Formats: sequence, C-alpha cells, structure tokens
Amino acid sequence: MRLTLPAALATTALTALPAFAVETSEVLGTYADIAEAKYEDSLIAARTLGDAVAALIEAPSAENLQAARTAWLAARVPYQQTEVYRFGNPIVDDWEGRVNAWPLDEGLIDYVDGAYGGPTDENELAALNVIANPTFTLSGIEIDASDITPALLQDTLHEVDGIEANVATGYHAIEFLLWGQDLNGHGDGAGDRPWTDYAEGDACTGGNCDRRADYLAAATQLLVSDLEWMAAQWAEGGAARAEVLADEGRGLSAILTGMGSLSYGEQAGERMRLGLMLNDPEEEHDCFSDNTHNSHYYDGLGIRNVYLGEYTRIDGSLVSGPSLADLVAEGNPALDSEMRQRLMETMMALGRIKTAAEAGFAYDEMLARGNEAGERLIMGGVDALIAQTRSIERIVAALDLGGIDFEGSDSLDDPSAVFQ
Amino acid sequence: MKLLSALALILGLATPTLAGVDEALDDHILPGFTAFAAATETLAQAARNDCRAEALRPAFQAAFDAWMPVADLRLGPSETGALSIAFWPDPRGFTQRTLSRLVAEDDPITSDVEGYAEVSIAARGLFALEMLLFDPEFAGYPAGSTACELAATIAADLDRQADALAQAWRDRFADVLRTAGEATNATYLTEDEAVRAIYTQILSSLAFTAEKRLGGPMGSFDRPRPARAEARRSGRSLRNAVLAAEAARDLAAALADWKLPETDAALERVKDAAARIEDSSFQDVTDPQARLRIEVLQQAVQSLSAAIQAEIGARLDISQGFNSQDGD
Repeated sequence: MRLTLPAALATTALTALPAFAVETSEVLGTYADIAEAKYEDSLIAARTLGDAVAALIEAPSAENLQAARTAWLAARVPYQQTEVYRFGNPIVDDWEGRVNAWPLDEGLIDYVDGAYGGPTDENELAALNVIANPTFTLSGIEIDASDITPALLQDTLHEVDGIEANVATGYHAIEFLLWGQDLNGHGDGAGDRPWTDYAEGDACTGGNCDRRADYLAAATQLLVSDLEWMAAQWAEGGAARAEVLADEGRGLSAILTGMGSLSYGEQAGERMRLGLMLNDPEEEHDCFSDNTHNSHYYDGLGIRNVYLGEYTRIDGSLVSGPSLADLVAEGNPALDSEMRQRLMETMMALGRIKTAAEAGFAYDEMLARGNEAGERLIMGGVDALIAQTRSIERIVAALDLGGIDFEGSDSLDDPSAVFQ
Repeated sequence: MKLLSALALILGLATPTLAGVDEALDDHILPGFTAFAAATETLAQAARNDCRAEALRPAFQAAFDAWMPVADLRLGPSETGALSIAFWPDPRGFTQRTLSRLVAEDDPITSDVEGYAEVSIAARGLFALEMLLFDPEFAGYPAGSTACELAATIAADLDRQADALAQAWRDRFADVLRTAGEATNATYLTEDEAVRAIYTQILSSLAFTAEKRLGGPMGSFDRPRPARAEARRSGRSLRNAVLAAEAARDLAAALADWKLPETDAALERVKDAAARIEDSSFQDVTDPQARLRIEVLQQAVQSLSAAIQAEIGARLDISQGFNSQDGD
C-alpha cells in the first residue's frame, strides 16, 4: 500500500492512518470501470445516431432530420461525461481531437453564409467547402476528394494544413451537418438547415446533396469506430485501463489531473469565460445546435461522478465502487466534505445555466454584449469551477502525489543533479 | 506533455523556510501594476492630444514594456482582468474582425469610453491597439476618423483597466495573499498555498513563453508559422519573450530569500540566445537557421524554468498547481 510509506506518513493529513480500509487499487478499478461504461454508453448512443443518419439519407424528410438531431443530442449526454478522462490519460488526450475537436471553421466542410468570410490569415482552407469541391489545391498539390470516405475525412481533411480549426470529423462536424450555421446571432433560435439539403434530384437545396449525405455517413461511421476503439482501451485487458492500474500514484494523479485541468483551463477558461469575454454568439461549444448548456452541465457531472465513484448509465443502471472520495475521507474528512460541497456548488451553477437555457434563454443570448443576467449565470459557473480546482489541488497535496510522474522529478529529489 | 505540465504537484511537507510572499508583492507585483497604470495614463493622454498611429506608437511601446512584468499573472484580479488587457493568442482573427466591424459600422461605442468595457475583449487592450497602430489595414487613418477616435477610446479604456487592476491588487488581493493561513482567509488555507500560487505563476509564464510566444511561430520544421508570432506587427515578439523571462526571474528572486545562482545564470543564457536572433518579430522563422536560433532560445527558457524548479521548488518542497493554460 503505497500511501502508507514514510513519505505519506509524514504528512499531517495522513499521520493517523496505519492502514487504509480503502485500497487505492480498488479506487483505480472503479475509475476504469466508469470509463468503460461511459465510452460504451457513448458508443451505444453513437450507433443509434448512425441508424438515424442512415434513415435520413435513405428517406430524407423533416421528421428524419429531426430524429437524427434528437439522437445527436442524446449521444452528447454520455460523451460529455467522459471528458474528465482526457487530460490525465494520454491515450484519451491523443485521441479525443478526432471526436470532439472544437472550435471549427465549418466552411471547410460545407456552404456557409456570406458573413462567414473567406480564407483567413491563419487558415487558407477556412472556406474550402469540400462538399462542393471534389478537388482542391493545398500548398500547390492537388487533392482528390471525389469520393467522400471515412479515410478522406480522417487522413486528409482533418486538421489539414496543421490547422486545428480544420475539424473534419467528430460530433461538431456532424452537428454542423445536421443543424447548419446558427445565423440568429444573439437572438432566439439554433441552426436551421433544411431537410432538403439531403433531398434527391431537383428537391436538393444547398447543392451536392449526395456528397453531403456521403459526408454525414462517413463522419458518423468514423465516430462509431473511434468510440469502439476507445471503449476497448478501457475494457479488461485494454491499454488505458492497464496504464491507470500500473502504478497507484500515477493512477491517482491521472484522476486528479483530469478533474483539475478540465475544471480550470479548459472549461472555466477556454470554453466559458473566454466566450463570454469575446461576446461572440458562435463562441460556444455546441454553437450549431444551441446545446452548450448541456455540454457544460455534463462535463461538470463527469468530474463529479469520477470523484464520487458513481455513474448512472444511459440504461439507468449504476456503476459504482470504492472512490477517490472514500480515500480522501479516510485521511481527511474535512477535505472530502469541502470537495463534495464544491462539486455540488458547481452542479448548481451549471444547473442554473441549463435551466435558463431550457426555459428559452439560450447560451448564445447569455453571451451578448452587456447582458448582465447572462454574464452572471456564466461567471457563476466559472467561479465555481475555479473554486473546485483549488480543492482538487488540496487533495493532490493531501495525498502527497507531488513529484510522481512530474517532469524533472529527479531534479526535485536531487537539485544538484540538474547542473552536473 | 499535458499530463506532465498539468500535474498538480504539490505541497508535500511543511515548508522549511517561509518564502517571501510579501517580497513578491512589494518588490515585483504591486510596483509592476503601478508602473503599468502610469504608462497607460501617458498613453491615454497622448491619444487625447493626437490619436494618429505614428503619434501613439512610442507611448504604446512603453505601455507594453510596462505590462510585461505582470502580464502572465493569472491570479486574483488578474485571473480575469489580464484577458481584456492582452487578448492573445487569437488564432481565429477575432481582433481584426471585431475592429473592422466597429469601424465599418461606425458603432457609437467607438467614442464611448464609459461603455467600452462591454465590448468584446478582442477589440480591447494592447493587441487591439497594436492592430490599429501597426496593421496596414488600419494604420493610415487620418485625424478625426472613426479609427482615430477608436484608438483614443481603446487607450482610455486600457488606462481605466490598468487603474482598476492596480487598485484591486493593492487594496484587496494583496491582503488575501499576505493573510494566507489565517482563520478569516477562505482563499488560501495555509501559507504554503499562497507560496504555491505565486510559484505556479512563474512556471506557467515560462511555459507560455516556450510554448506560445516561441513555439507558436516555430510551428513544425516543415511548416513554420510566422503569423503566430506575438505582437509581430509592432516588432515586439522577441522583446516580449525576453521581458517575460526577466519577469519570471525577478518574481522568483523576490519569492526566495536566498540567492539563485543557477536561475541567474539561466537568465543570462536566455539573453545570450535572444541576442543572436536577428528578426525581432520572428518573421524569418521560415529560414531553418533562423528557426534554429529561436529553438535555442526556447530551450534556454525551459532551462530557466528547470533552474527555478530546482532552486525554489525543490528547496521549499513545492510543485506547481493547475495552470490556466491547461486545456486545448
């Protein structure tokens, strides 16, 4: 039991503990079990989305487009809860850009409104519109895009020219193909792509309906195969599970790094505060569907259920087991109470955003210049996420994980070694 | 890399020596914000007299110089306040787009100093001003034009922000750091937490310089990205990197009440590497030799970080907390 070794004994938090009733290995096992369940749920929901997309392409209609949108919204619920696995697990981090890259220059994929503009300084392919262009030129080389296949999207188009905003795959590319641009600015309403963008023959709007359908089918297939791969990484014998279980200190660091990095730099900073301060209606995570309130909410819930070691699956069943919360509570009940309190406050704050959005005050309306109510709602979430990050740091300190897997840890142990 | 940089590493044992939170505030942070507020006051005054680009450039450069010692703090009032003073990087060109729109629409907010605080951060602060004063699309504007008025408004808004930030640090947040560990302090429950918070700022700043200020324009060997150089329009890319490194060393020296010989030597190597770079805005990064010189500077900045970790982090047995730049 690693944490009972002398280093941990020296910390005030843990001195009273000769042995733990909660085994760290069991905590890590629960963490991996929850990951497996979440990615499996994401996969199940993505397959349902795939069926809905196939039905839309087979028989384009307003009803079938709506059914596909509904399936996409449902698919986001389990997936967003997996994001807490990103920053701490390199296997997830290296992969996640394929499925959830954001923000995107959607003009790469399909037609856009005139106000979107053309190529930018940074991205000469920002308005490429591959659906309308079977060939295009990149750095003087002609690229054949006549067949829109999963391979074309994944290997050629995604992050083409080294630009991260060239997002060709994943949830947000599919979202754009289902909803289209949200042209309502800070006003009511999400993207409103007509179902006839998938219609055959003369009924086709937006041009190239067959290529658009090919794109949507390919992107959905890729999403399913990518999620199959990730679910397997967390199953018994999977690489991600093995890595977490290989070393108790590293495993705990992975949990806490994921919780803290998602809370602070990513969600509070990049996704919430920055969008608010830019006052840009499209600077929201799910800008086409206006589903951002749910993205934020389920990200927060994912952080919480990893700490508590309890995840409710999409079929309603519960995956639970010994948790990080149990481990913290054993050595430092006050810190565990603080962490639970902070996580709950975050869920309340994100819940207020969700409630307001569902009642008609959409997230992009909250971002409008001078909208004080919206600013209060969003900053409430930001502040709560920052506050919970401070508690996460305290847990890292209390568990005495310092130095583990830390770049230059040799130098920390032996400063003089650095300069020899 | 994310795992390593994000690892929240931490205060293990009680600190053997109480490091200098007071010194960090009194020798570096608070004087830094006061000097920045004075420099923006001069800039705003200059803009009231003559808002044309050429007239404003010297005061702009001085204000940016004054910003750098405190630019990378993301703590207390600077957690949010720094973003509207220096919005960068801007990979999707929000600044250019937002300024173009304000000028084209002749938006009345362009002459409304009071109301300007509501405007997108992409059109506020040093980088918005830089775009107006140096980018060919804007910089030729005549006196009396919307763009000229906008430059004066941004300068005045920047001055107000600088005053507010200096005041918030001086009157409010400095005490939060100084009283760390006292029963009434809900932010820092122990003295160690305040030390760790400042220490985190130092390492985060150096990581930002290595990864964004230098790594941004370096891009990949096959695809360097000169357009990603910070403040390239005003020729400040190299200068900002050096000033940020000096600021990191100064803050580290204030935090430690002992000598930092390796850190000082590492800073000298940063300056030596910088002196060999010919293009102050890194636009020559497309030349492999020039790119290599930037890479040498990047390594020197990383070595400076390693020295500070060894001379302060190891001695106090602290590691950095979560970094606001974590994420993607």
